[in-house]
Amino acid sequence: MGQFGDNVTSFAQLVILSLVPYVLASQGTMLGGRTGIFNVAQEGIMLVGAAVGFLGAYLFDSLLVGMLLAIMIGGLFGLTLAYFTTTLKMDQFVIGLSLFFIGLALSTLFFKVVVGVTLQPPLIPTLQSVAIPGLAQLPIIGPILFNHNVLVYLAILLSAFLYYVLYKTSLGLELRAVGENPKAADSLGVNVTLMRYGTAIVGGMLMGLAGAYLPMVYTGTFTQGMVRGRGWLAIALTFFGGWKPHFIFFGALFFAGVEVLAFRAQVLGGIGIPYQFLLMLPYIATILVMMPAFKGVRAPAFLGLNYDREKRAQS
Amino acid sequence: MALELSSEQAAKNRFDVRAIAWQLGPYAIAVLAAFLAAGLFIGLMGYDVLRAYSTILFTSFRTPNGFVQTLLKFVPLLLQAFAFTIPLAAGKFNIGGEGQMLVGAIGATAVGIMFAGLPAVLLLPLVLLAGVLGGAIWGAIPAWLLYRFNMNEILTTVLFNFVSFGLVDYVATEIWRDPAAGHPTTIPIGPGAELPLLISSPPLHSGILLVLLIAVAVYIYTNRTSAGYELIATGANPRAARVYGIAVRRVFILALVLGGLLAGLSGAIEVAGKQHRLIEGMQSNLLLLGIIIGLIAKGNNLAVPFVAFFIAILEVGASAMQRTLMIPGEMVFIVEALVLLFVLLSDVFRRR
Repeated sequence: MGQFGDNVTSFAQLVILSLVPYVLASQGTMLGGRTGIFNVAQEGIMLVGAAVGFLGAYLFDSLLVGMLLAIMIGGLFGLTLAYFTTTLKMDQFVIGLSLFFIGLALSTLFFKVVVGVTLQPPLIPTLQSVAIPGLAQLPIIGPILFNHNVLVYLAILLSAFLYYVLYKTSLGLELRAVGENPKAADSLGVNVTLMRYGTAIVGGMLMGLAGAYLPMVYTGTFTQGMVRGRGWLAIALTFFGGWKPHFIFFGALFFAGVEVLAFRAQVLGGIGIPYQFLLMLPYIATILVMMPAFKGVRAPAFLGLNYDREKRAQS
Repeated sequence: MALELSSEQAAKNRFDVRAIAWQLGPYAIAVLAAFLAAGLFIGLMGYDVLRAYSTILFTSFRTPNGFVQTLLKFVPLLLQAFAFTIPLAAGKFNIGGEGQMLVGAIGATAVGIMFAGLPAVLLLPLVLLAGVLGGAIWGAIPAWLLYRFNMNEILTTVLFNFVSFGLVDYVATEIWRDPAAGHPTTIPIGPGAELPLLISSPPLHSGILLVLLIAVAVYIYTNRTSAGYELIATGANPRAARVYGIAVRRVFILALVLGGLLAGLSGAIEVAGKQHRLIEGMQSNLLLLGIIIGLIAKGNNLAVPFVAFFIAILEVGASAMQRTLMIPGEMVFIVEALVLLFVLLSDVFRRR
């Protein structure tokens, strides 16, 4: 296939691999947003998911246990967000930022309490690739698509599943109605509170898992601030994907692509560009693509607003 | 979307003892509850709760050095908090305080190095101005993106933080690198760029006076001027403010730029007063603490300096606790987060 072909293949493979945290966190954001809950704690939830996932895997010697714990703590954050905003009717951004802070604090605290301060942090084995029999042998697309860790497949299937649920089932219709017009949905017998709790919790779970992906696939250990803005970028991706699961999935290709490109360029000696500017690339690229995206995008009408059935109009 | 400010401010203005107690009571209970809850946690992990708490609370007051450390922590904290609360008054969330601070610090360092030979009367104002300008520009870009493309300011302000990290690294390793330092650091600024000291040992720079003046100015601006009233009216109800004739979108821009400007000044003060050079990582966790101060104060700019001082005490105590008792300093994060949580909850109960 030649050197160039190999490079393209391995680039594409890395992009698919790097897709996962963006897809998981962004689909989680989208889910909550579709019922009007605008979670802005992704960065904190991912950090705490990374710490708990790593520590769980380290203490119990099982990546699965780590993942489950990360999912649980993420769900707990989602539940807290839902309780404070949907039940107590408090400002979503204030609570979201508080949760961001708490997640960040807990992540380093957990790590320090369990591991202590060491020069050489413990390592966990990273997730193994599972080749899909038959498909993995296909030329070119085989290695790119069908020889990855299980979470890659999960991210792909989840996106398809969410598309199906949102657009092909009555549950999805009700869910979308809650984010567009909770009053109307309520009057038709949809349980707005339940919908909001459910999506916030599942959304938080996905973010927790997205965080756990980082130590389990990239580094094998937890380091402070290792999410490096991916949580915030996931919010950007959600807008970029128009709050639609299928567009989010394909948008994630771009986010992961820029990440891999910046990383590759650093390794290759930066092609004359100082590496610091390559590090900025994902954030600047995000802002650039968002300029047109934000003008065209339609977010759920009730995004970030709480619903009070006893009030006539929402402010 | 905006925090409810009106009743608070009305109560503060009247100096009615009962009303003030009504305001401060929940705070006292929230702080107490946070310390109790966190104490339970600290105790369960097998640490000595009483020693931990006495270290956290009294380190600032035991020695002159402890008190000066607290004041030095207070200076950037206060400015970071205002960088958050001024846009918040208009209903906008500035999560870019650390980026604005770093760009301000870069500006201050650049001027301080390039014109190192100038006398202090010229150089120091230029250095501070460069910091303010850098922060204002870093706040103006998200403001422009909001104005022009309606881009969510939470997102843009936070993304520009990450851009600023790269800039700092570039300046500190490629342009003015100090080869003697093991960590990315620039060469020192000229002596004329340094803020004069109020006390020489332990060193306390005059930035503290500057930020106290700013605290008064911010309070007067937001609570006593018509421009500040427009800010708060916009935050309380943008639609009503627009009907009333306020150029709402311009108010958003103004608020975000003002926030960036103050954050930029905090960077310049850290450079001119404390470090005398640009150091990578100087932002530590000031952004988060600034946000948490703003939220605990519920956006009330009269309360911000007091909350900032309280947090400065906790932070200085936390590092002492980590040094002497080997208890992770992050424990104080939990106390702070719980204080915030209980303060927020007290609002819910009062509403009922």
